[in-house]
Amino acid sequence: MSKPELWVIAERRLDHVEPTTQQLITKAKSLASNQFKVVTILLEATTDHLENELTAYGPDEIRIVRDDRFPTATDAEHADALKQLVDAYQPNSILFGATITGRSIAPRLQAKLQTGLTADCLDLRFDDETLVATKPSYGDNIMCEIICPDHRPQMASVRPNTFVATPATGDATITTTTVTFHPVDRLKVTTARPVVNTATTVGDASRVVALGRGAASDASIDTATKLAEKLGGRIGVSRPLTDQDRFTHDDQIGQSGNTIHPELILNFGISGAVQYLVGMQDSQTIVAVNADPHAPIFDVADYGYVGDAQAFMAALLAQFN
Amino acid sequence: MKIVVCIKQVPETNDVTIDPVTHNLDRRGLAGVMNPFDKNAVEQALQLKDANNDAEVVLLSMGPDDYAESLREGMAMGADAGVLLSDRAFAGADTLATGYVIAQAVKQIGAVDLVLFGRQAVDADTGQVGPIVAEFLHQPQITYAASLRLSGPNEVTAERLLEDTKQTLVATLPAVVSVRSELNTPRYPTPRNIQLSFAKPLTVWHHDDLDLDDSRLGQAGSPTIVTKVYAPEPVKRELTPLTGTPTEAASQLIKALKHRQLI
Ligand SMILES: Cc1cc2nc3c(=O)[nH]c(=O)nc-3n(C[C@H](O)[C@H](O)[C@H](O)COP(=O)(O)OP(=O)(O)OC[C@H]3O[C@@H](n4cnc5c(N)ncnc54)[C@H](O)[C@@H]3O)c2cc1C
Ligand SMILES: Cc1cc2nc3c(=O)[nH]c(=O)nc-3n(C[C@H](O)[C@H](O)[C@H](O)COP(=O)(O)OP(=O)(O)OC[C@H]3O[C@@H](n4cnc5c(N)ncnc54)[C@H](O)[C@@H]3O)c2cc1C
Repeated sequence: MSKPELWVIAERRLDHVEPTTQQLITKAKSLASNQFKVVTILLEATTDHLENELTAYGPDEIRIVRDDRFPTATDAEHADALKQLVDAYQPNSILFGATITGRSIAPRLQAKLQTGLTADCLDLRFDDETLVATKPSYGDNIMCEIICPDHRPQMASVRPNTFVATPATGDATITTTTVTFHPVDRLKVTTARPVVNTATTVGDASRVVALGRGAASDASIDTATKLAEKLGGRIGVSRPLTDQDRFTHDDQIGQSGNTIHPELILNFGISGAVQYLVGMQDSQTIVAVNADPHAPIFDVADYGYVGDAQAFMAALLAQFN
Repeated sequence: MKIVVCIKQVPETNDVTIDPVTHNLDRRGLAGVMNPFDKNAVEQALQLKDANNDAEVVLLSMGPDDYAESLREGMAMGADAGVLLSDRAFAGADTLATGYVIAQAVKQIGAVDLVLFGRQAVDADTGQVGPIVAEFLHQPQITYAASLRLSGPNEVTAERLLEDTKQTLVATLPAVVSVRSELNTPRYPTPRNIQLSFAKPLTVWHHDDLDLDDSRLGQAGSPTIVTKVYAPEPVKRELTPLTGTPTEAASQLIKALKHRQLI
């Protein structure tokens, strides 16, 4: 008997694959062991070859459907195509990235399939063939585990950058299949413009360059501004810096400011007082640079450098240029 | 035109705790308020009404009887009527069962041109109910709308911000739209509107007032089950030191960030 299929729905980001897709393939492979077949579903245009960005992550199969309407298809059109594939192949489970696109298409498909979908998951595991999905709620204050015992497929959307994509060996079989594209005439995308960074405040930014009293000079702020631009992020500050004219309370991170969980935060010259830490310690990747090797900020950091903040920022910026 | 705005009542604060004995969510003493993101949807509906005096704004909520409070709040902002879907049979619904009952209620209200949703409820945080209702109504959906306006007698135009793209979408009505919180600042109820709201109709529909398939309701109609609720442990991190000169350390960091697909 063939193994049940565990699907990862590939997502496009401009002309590339959304990184969450690769992260989900790595996670799916580690979940699958010998029990499941990991299949990446890729809907792309006839001239696209996005599968080239997926093979290195080693899914068992990349199943491609090509139609020139896919790159600009609407949520309902995507969900309709996926529904046809689910009917044809009967997967055990389906994973989406919890991106805006994923969170728009997945529930539409869920409704077509009348099955369960757990949103914005931070962890996944299998108990036998039951997917156990861990999701945060109440603004990440509470975690819960959710299962979908009696319906198949089981579905989950997974928060971007929760897992790390790791290239893997193993040859992915590339197959193509077809569906009938049912155009939805009542909704048209009339323009689509690429945007680099939509964050307007430190609270929405997915990348944050945070400055504290040890990186408060004009030169540091200048370098940090350029770094933030390169990263597509925003500047945030510890409380003492809100006394400066150029920062306001809106820019402050911490207990009496913004609670943030960006995918990346670089902390420069911040000691890591508890009132600061509670506002940012759930960030996904934390980097700290501080002159004091005993600064508490290092206790919550993934990467740390002991040294001068301004010198490090300048070196980092030089390597981006 | 008839606009339905779906609103959910949520705890006033997200600072909920876990009861150490029962391991259940401790919601004691938490007052219910309108989901803050739903105020943006109500505001959007009222702006469409301001631009088109014929528009009627009906608020729709599924939940226990005390959800009437947030319906009243929305009517005090200026909505014309409220419908509460309240029945023991609806309790324990996940997003699929919630979406089903809301879709059936929209059909029952009848001749609805536009159904608006908030971006997500701040408690369970799924954002799934809008697209589910759109599918059950067989209507086009626009999620995460950053702006919305009537662009023709039977048509809305919206902007939508994806991670990488800003789209303009044109939908023929009827349609379902969920809005981003950045698109407007919700108005406050004025004393006059609060006064007027008491005269506005608030209808309660129970199970028998709707055309429903019982197998799709409440807990029985919900494919998902919450098996465990717990307070998150702080993430344990292992510090990787960056070493050497600033230039060397910066290049180690760039390598690490590339590995994590952050750059
Ligand atoms: C009720 C209450 C609420 C508060 N809320 C907040 C809040 O929301 N947000 C907040 O940030 N704070 C808050 N605070 C203040 C908080 O306790 C700290 O005082 C504050 O976070 C310290 O900011 P800092 O780390 O920038 O400064 P400092 O603690 O002065 O730290 C500066 C750091 O920079 C390092 N340094 C110095 N020179 C260099 C250099 N050249 N290169 C690299 N590193 C260098 C030092 O080693 C030191 O670790 C609150 C306090 C209270 C009592
Ligand atoms: C801790 C926890 C986690 C949960 N996780 C999941 C999960 O992962 N998957 C799942 O299927 N269910 C889940 N549920 C169940 C879910 O909360 C309920 O189905 C709820 O009724 C609707 O989901 P939501 O709060 O996520 O709303 P969302 O889908 O986030 O709400 C989006 C919009 O829909 C409208 N809306 C939502 N609920 C109502 C309502 N009752 N009446 C009127 N309008 C409404 C509002 O406009 C709202 O802004 C969870 C419940 C809890 C307590």
